[in-house]
Amino acid sequence: MSEWSEAVQERARAIVAQYPQRRSAVMPLLFLAMAQDGYLTEAGMIEVAEWTGITPAQVAAVATFYTMYKREPVGKYLVSCCTSISCMLLGSDQVMHALEEEAGALHGQVDAEGLIGVEHAECLGACGGAPAVQVNYELIEGVTPDKARQLVQWLRKARPETVNTDELQQLFGGTTSFEWAIKEEVGAVGPYPAFESFGSTAPVSADGTES
Amino acid sequence: MTDLTREGIKATVGEEMVKVTVDGQEFEAPKGQMLIQAAQNHGTYIPRFCWHPRMRPVGMCRMCLVEMETPKGRVLITACTNPVADGMVIDTKSEVAKKAQEGVLEFLLINHPLDCPVCDRGGECPLQDHTIAYGPGESRFVEEKRHFEKPIKISDLVYLDRERCILCARCTRFSDEVSGDPLIEFLDRGNFTQINTFPDQPFASYFSGNTVQICPVGALTSKAYRFRARPWDLVSIESTCPHCTTGDRITVQASQNEVLRFLGVDAEATNWSWLSDKCRFGFEFIESPDRLTSPMIRQEDGSFTEATWTEALELVASRFTEIRDAGKGLAVLGGARGTNEDAYALAKFAREVLSTNNIDCQLDDGLDPQFLAATADRARISDLDSARTILVWGPDLKEEHPTLYLRVRHAVQEKGARLVLIHPWRNGLDDRATHKLTYRPGSGAALLTRLQSEEGEVATALAEGPLVALLGRTGYGEDGRLAEAVAAHVRSLGGKLLPLARRSNVYGALDMGLAPSLAPGRATTDNPGKNAAQILEGLAEGSILGLLMVGSDPVRDVPNGELARQALEQARFVVALDQFLTDSSRLADVVLPVEGFAEKEGSVTNVEGRVQKVNRVVPGPGQSRPDWSILDDLSDRMGRSINLVSAEAIAKEIATEVPAYVGVTWDMLDAEKDGVVVPLPEATQPLVYLPADTPGKSFSGELVLHYARTMFDDGVLMRHGPSLEHLAPGAVAILNFDDARRLGLSDGDQADIKTSQGSARLTVRIDPSMNHGLVYVPFNQPGIPSLGSDPVVTVTKA
Repeated sequence: MSEWSEAVQERARAIVAQYPQRRSAVMPLLFLAMAQDGYLTEAGMIEVAEWTGITPAQVAAVATFYTMYKREPVGKYLVSCCTSISCMLLGSDQVMHALEEEAGALHGQVDAEGLIGVEHAECLGACGGAPAVQVNYELIEGVTPDKARQLVQWLRKARPETVNTDELQQLFGGTTSFEWAIKEEVGAVGPYPAFESFGSTAPVSADGTES
Repeated sequence: MTDLTREGIKATVGEEMVKVTVDGQEFEAPKGQMLIQAAQNHGTYIPRFCWHPRMRPVGMCRMCLVEMETPKGRVLITACTNPVADGMVIDTKSEVAKKAQEGVLEFLLINHPLDCPVCDRGGECPLQDHTIAYGPGESRFVEEKRHFEKPIKISDLVYLDRERCILCARCTRFSDEVSGDPLIEFLDRGNFTQINTFPDQPFASYFSGNTVQICPVGALTSKAYRFRARPWDLVSIESTCPHCTTGDRITVQASQNEVLRFLGVDAEATNWSWLSDKCRFGFEFIESPDRLTSPMIRQEDGSFTEATWTEALELVASRFTEIRDAGKGLAVLGGARGTNEDAYALAKFAREVLSTNNIDCQLDDGLDPQFLAATADRARISDLDSARTILVWGPDLKEEHPTLYLRVRHAVQEKGARLVLIHPWRNGLDDRATHKLTYRPGSGAALLTRLQSEEGEVATALAEGPLVALLGRTGYGEDGRLAEAVAAHVRSLGGKLLPLARRSNVYGALDMGLAPSLAPGRATTDNPGKNAAQILEGLAEGSILGLLMVGSDPVRDVPNGELARQALEQARFVVALDQFLTDSSRLADVVLPVEGFAEKEGSVTNVEGRVQKVNRVVPGPGQSRPDWSILDDLSDRMGRSINLVSAEAIAKEIATEVPAYVGVTWDMLDAEKDGVVVPLPEATQPLVYLPADTPGKSFSGELVLHYARTMFDDGVLMRHGPSLEHLAPGAVAILNFDDARRLGLSDGDQADIKTSQGSARLTVRIDPSMNHGLVYVPFNQPGIPSLGSDPVVTVTKA
């Protein structure tokens, strides 16, 4: 009865199989549902309810608690600006303002084209590299208002299929929390976290990095 | 002993007693019992909102904070999540505890509107009462409260005002833990946490009304009671629910002689305060404008004219006397919906005045009355709580025995009983079944043989006791003797059983002798008469001429409704004692208006043989009279007086004359909260029926019919209640995909469903969970003729 493609159902089965009780798979399946429609639809929640054997109301109870389950379209690129204390002290309000102005969308909105969504976020765990910004949950540290504007302009122009933290950092970042990092081989393909098991990852393309 | 599981805190209450001191008073309580309960049992009420004695504790509302002494000093704990322990010292009224309680109330009132004067709960509201008893008196909160659209309709029966909600989770826990249909949940947790349903998926639970009763504020209200009365204007009298055979205890509340509400009473023996929506909202028929208010006599042209009681009774007496004295047959159908006193009067009237044993209070329901009334090894409902294995092979409990359904769920989910569920199709208990077996009606005997002979998981489970079996017919197509054969097997395994029948007081009626093979008091008759099906056949072919119907509607209520119609049309003389003009009483020659539930006092008997009181709350409409008084009057006019003077006098007669009921007095029933199970120790039961191991006929066909009841249907009591009349699911024929394809049918097509006894044109629904070769049709849906009890069926595209 599933509306999902056979490949997606295969992924769902694999996710459900990881847990002793299938209801425990509700959170990863919600991301999988988001990856199908770009955001979490009612149909997606009903689908998850069928996979987990709980009611749609119980699925909605989970989905409406977590801010990362987006129940409205957020565009192809969701740009989140940290406005918690470390970032705020280092000017994240200006970064947020620059993002909003450049994108033409306020917090929680999507630009006119439906391409870029902007939001402010609570602590992204990158205080050492504040202010921090994420694009589709791929992190950029040390972002200035100017870099933020460039980021929006670049997303609009280059429209990369995949965004990747290393590339973004190189193009738009500044100070980082650590000088070393393990190289990220894959990037996110939509406004949900890049997890291989959800199919929301793709290898970074060799030529997609030019601005 | 607290066991922290996924499902929350579960206390295991043991035998061992511990000493606890609450507010300086020392007492003993069973180890593991929650402090809030132990304190209450010893006279100390600790305020609470979220805690409910019949649900698991969650400690969400924080209202029950009390101070406990520990080696490190005094600490605040929630009394609802902490079990008593030896040497525990508790202060519920200390300065700190008081301040904590004040703080919680001030906090809860931040968002709760102060609209008590226009709130339905005002006057009976725990939040209002606790605010007065434990609150700070004023609030420091001056900001804007939360706002929501109010109220929203979350189901056909229940409205939700989210502004009033204090988020105690009683309703969500009830629907998840107790009734097993979690269709409401906390959404948008955070500043805007609210209870709600999933969009476009209403709170369509059979038990939704319970959430209204347990809501500690006015957030949940029912369609039937909203803005109808203030609690201080209500007269409240305890009684027993008139709908299902569990004998659920209820409080009937009325204002100005109008019944306005039923509430569940926490009776340990039966319903634990829960009611199905059919019971809870099934009171509206009492005040229906369609109630009969005066005797009516049918004219030549088929219309009715009102008559005086004298005219009507003289006519009935002369015609019945004529038929009786001519040695022609007379018969009685019905009597299962009244009190034991009325049933006794009817049995006496039938045998002594009409001189007939053609009496049946069951309308071709299929189970042997002796089996129902007097089976050996009859279980009690409470046996379910201590059962190791529960076997349910009978009607879908959720549809037909809703509070038994809750009890079985509880036993399996909370007490760890194993459930063996045998049913032709989907069943309300599927999600709790340890073993589920499906079969096609007609092949039940073969399945039973397999269970008896085979070694296997199910056989092993059944062999491990204590075993309690709930047995009955899964649908009208099934031979009633199958349940008996299963009962025989259960007995051979050392198990106990409850044979299941419907029609509210059917067990009481059988005990009073309203069956062709039963005399009052669970005794056999020497000369058995005809049963309902034979009576209808007799009427149709002319071997029985006269019929007395008492609160029965055979045209809608027997599986072969067409036969019932013919029978009533062919009968020489038909009298109906009824509250309404039904499809059957419309065909009677004389219709006599009777008092119904809440209008008369008496006793009733439930599925386990428990006798409880029903009480008079309001007067009956117009010139309506109780059954016994009409029958007594008729007996005088027919020259063979049965000498009955009042329901109470009949009760006294029963307590001395009716063997199994010896010693059961109204005083005793009024004193014992849970009534008494008959026979009392000093009484004897003449008949102990041993279920026969003859599973009845087997048959097979390409397609067989699973023809079973749903909770809401076109029954008389529902048809006359505005809240319930639209809830019948409507007639459909549900088929498996392969069968549908073979027959050239797709979802939504019209098809003609035919059996040897009836046919109907129904909408086809395809359901992948349906067994092959099986067609499910719900019984007695509005506007649909009945299909009969022959399960061999043909389906053709219309």
